[in-house]
Amino acid sequence: MRITRPRARSRFFGRYGGRFVPEMLVPALEELEEAYLSLRNNPGFKRELARIRRDFAGRPTPLAFAENLTRKAGGCRIYLKMECLAHTGAHKINNVLGQILLARRMGKTRIIAETGAGQHGLAVAAGAARFGLRCTVFMGEIDMRRQRPNVFAMEIMGAEIVPVRDGSRTLKDAVTAALKDWIEHLDTTHYLLGSALGPHPYPRMVREFQSVIGREVKRQLAALRISRPDILVACVGGGSNSLGLFHPFLRNGKVRCVGVEAGGRGSRPGDHAVRFGAHGRPGIVQGYLSYFLQDRDGQILPTHSVSAGLDYAGISPELADLHDRKRVEFVAVTDREALEGYRLLAAEEGIIPALESAHAVAYGVKAAADLPRSRVMVINISGRGDKDLFIAARALDRGNWLAFLKDEADRAE
Amino acid sequence: MPNDIAGTFLRRPKPLLMTHVVAGYPDLDESRKTVETMVENGADLVEIQIPFTDPLADGPVITAANRAALARGVRPKDVFAMVRRLTQNTAAPLLVMTYANIPHRMGFERFASACAEAGAAGVIIPDLAFDEAGGDWPGLFRRYGTAWIPVLSPGMQEERMRRILAGTSGFAYVTLRTGTTGARLRIGKAGLDFLGRVREVSGPPVAAGFGISRPEHVRALRNKADAVVIGSRLLELYNAGGAKKVGAFLRLCRREPESSSASG
Ligand SMILES: Cc1ncc(COP(=O)(O)O)c(C=O)c1O
Repeated sequence: MRITRPRARSRFFGRYGGRFVPEMLVPALEELEEAYLSLRNNPGFKRELARIRRDFAGRPTPLAFAENLTRKAGGCRIYLKMECLAHTGAHKINNVLGQILLARRMGKTRIIAETGAGQHGLAVAAGAARFGLRCTVFMGEIDMRRQRPNVFAMEIMGAEIVPVRDGSRTLKDAVTAALKDWIEHLDTTHYLLGSALGPHPYPRMVREFQSVIGREVKRQLAALRISRPDILVACVGGGSNSLGLFHPFLRNGKVRCVGVEAGGRGSRPGDHAVRFGAHGRPGIVQGYLSYFLQDRDGQILPTHSVSAGLDYAGISPELADLHDRKRVEFVAVTDREALEGYRLLAAEEGIIPALESAHAVAYGVKAAADLPRSRVMVINISGRGDKDLFIAARALDRGNWLAFLKDEADRAE
Repeated sequence: MPNDIAGTFLRRPKPLLMTHVVAGYPDLDESRKTVETMVENGADLVEIQIPFTDPLADGPVITAANRAALARGVRPKDVFAMVRRLTQNTAAPLLVMTYANIPHRMGFERFASACAEAGAAGVIIPDLAFDEAGGDWPGLFRRYGTAWIPVLSPGMQEERMRRILAGTSGFAYVTLRTGTTGARLRIGKAGLDFLGRVREVSGPPVAAGFGISRPEHVRALRNKADAVVIGSRLLELYNAGGAKKVGAFLRLCRREPESSSASG
């Protein structure tokens, strides 16, 4: 039997999506869906969200013309959507504020979340602190090690960080741990999922909260008398920043949308996170049907990326559908290219991007060179790179950095 | 007949004992022998889990066993071979339990046919809702002669529960609480109330599980459930002392209420 003809269309994007969860989660997902549907067009809720986005998150974020990068690439005009300037340093806050307001209206007192790079966890910790909710963040042990600055930031905001030692000890296992915790505490707890994936209604809800990115870009381009961008570029972990940028433009077939996946250190299984490549195929994992990196039996494969936020075996079901329909193109950028993108944006524009966003920069600069000057490209700088200083410095300035770390360690003794 | 679920529920004293093993933990031979020991010591039905990397509904003990079995390279086809071998010399109906991605990857039709060929009496796939994606999963497996065992949980809507039970051919599996698998000290009131609700909707027999860890739990469910499911506790016992310990525990659960002084 093929999975076709979904009974409830709205739970699916084409054949992807759905609500593949143990029966015990169904009531909680239905409660969430109901709350969300009743609030999304509620004027009071919309006003509250708009206010908190402006006053707390610092929206709208700027759309900056990257003059030096444009000159360097020698092709189309490159604009940067500066999600890195949103509070807590990434686009994640857009979704977090929406869901936190929702959770409060549902009467939940505790928020749980998973995090890879720590940016989602950080946004959740900040939102929970701001609104007086208890907060637990699940994080793979490996991610905790490589994103230590964010662990500290979350803790100082009062969140409890639970190290996940199971499986690959990265984002996928943090998602599973959060889902399991949710199952155990459904009455008090809202699971604030961090990307446009998971069981329905998360993929749709998260994408809607993130679409503020694309809507702002549209307005900001119009103010520059640019009727539409020619090409949009964003990195793709789960898919929330890319969908947020692309979604308001999907109806316009003239706008090319490119999602950049983590090519990692090679093409062998376990060395990358390219879902739309040789090892990715449709599967049902963590509550939804989408592309997953898996072996011949359906076991989920380990992943790798220099950026913790792109290091995930699954992908948004909506992106899976857009991929199959060829509405969004996908490319992969290696760890090394991403590090070069990181350095380049810092050197040319004085902006240090998150290593996730650096993937988009690396591809964008390459692609821009082949496009005429009259064209417009928007690259989403989904987050800023402070959290990655330790990784980037070790790769780009090894000797000095190690000496510094040793020195710091000595002084801390 | 090993795959006669209805007959088993009719003939055996209630509550039936249903046990769980992770196939391939610690290896295929051992897990097969454990199933045999279970049946020899009173298990009426055995649930055999095909290990998966991301067992969403399982607590730490069963998750770790899944992980270990996979590390040894156990594949679904090995599990089917093991089930086939067991059905040839074990009287208890065997149920294949796994997560949706395993049959999805294999193809649901092929998976259903593999279950049937191996002689499995039923299939349990907790993360595949009976009606999701327009699939009539219970119907598909029924066509191959394998019962679809739904997993019902407290909190679910009456309407949905009735629809599921109406289409159930083998028995229904009720979790006594919302949460992941794992041995617990007590059976909560919410779980017992829900069990009562399910049994009021007359229909298939009902097995209760999640948390059962003591012989007195089994006794407490005597008139409330047609079968009880013991999973994590048996795995803990296995880890502590092998199949022998598992067998001893099952014998305790089997004893008449009056004569048992066990406290688990
Ligand atoms: C800065 C940044 N960009 C991108 C991502 C990838 O996630 P998504 O594809 O959901 O936007 C993350 C995830 O942690 C992130 O922190």
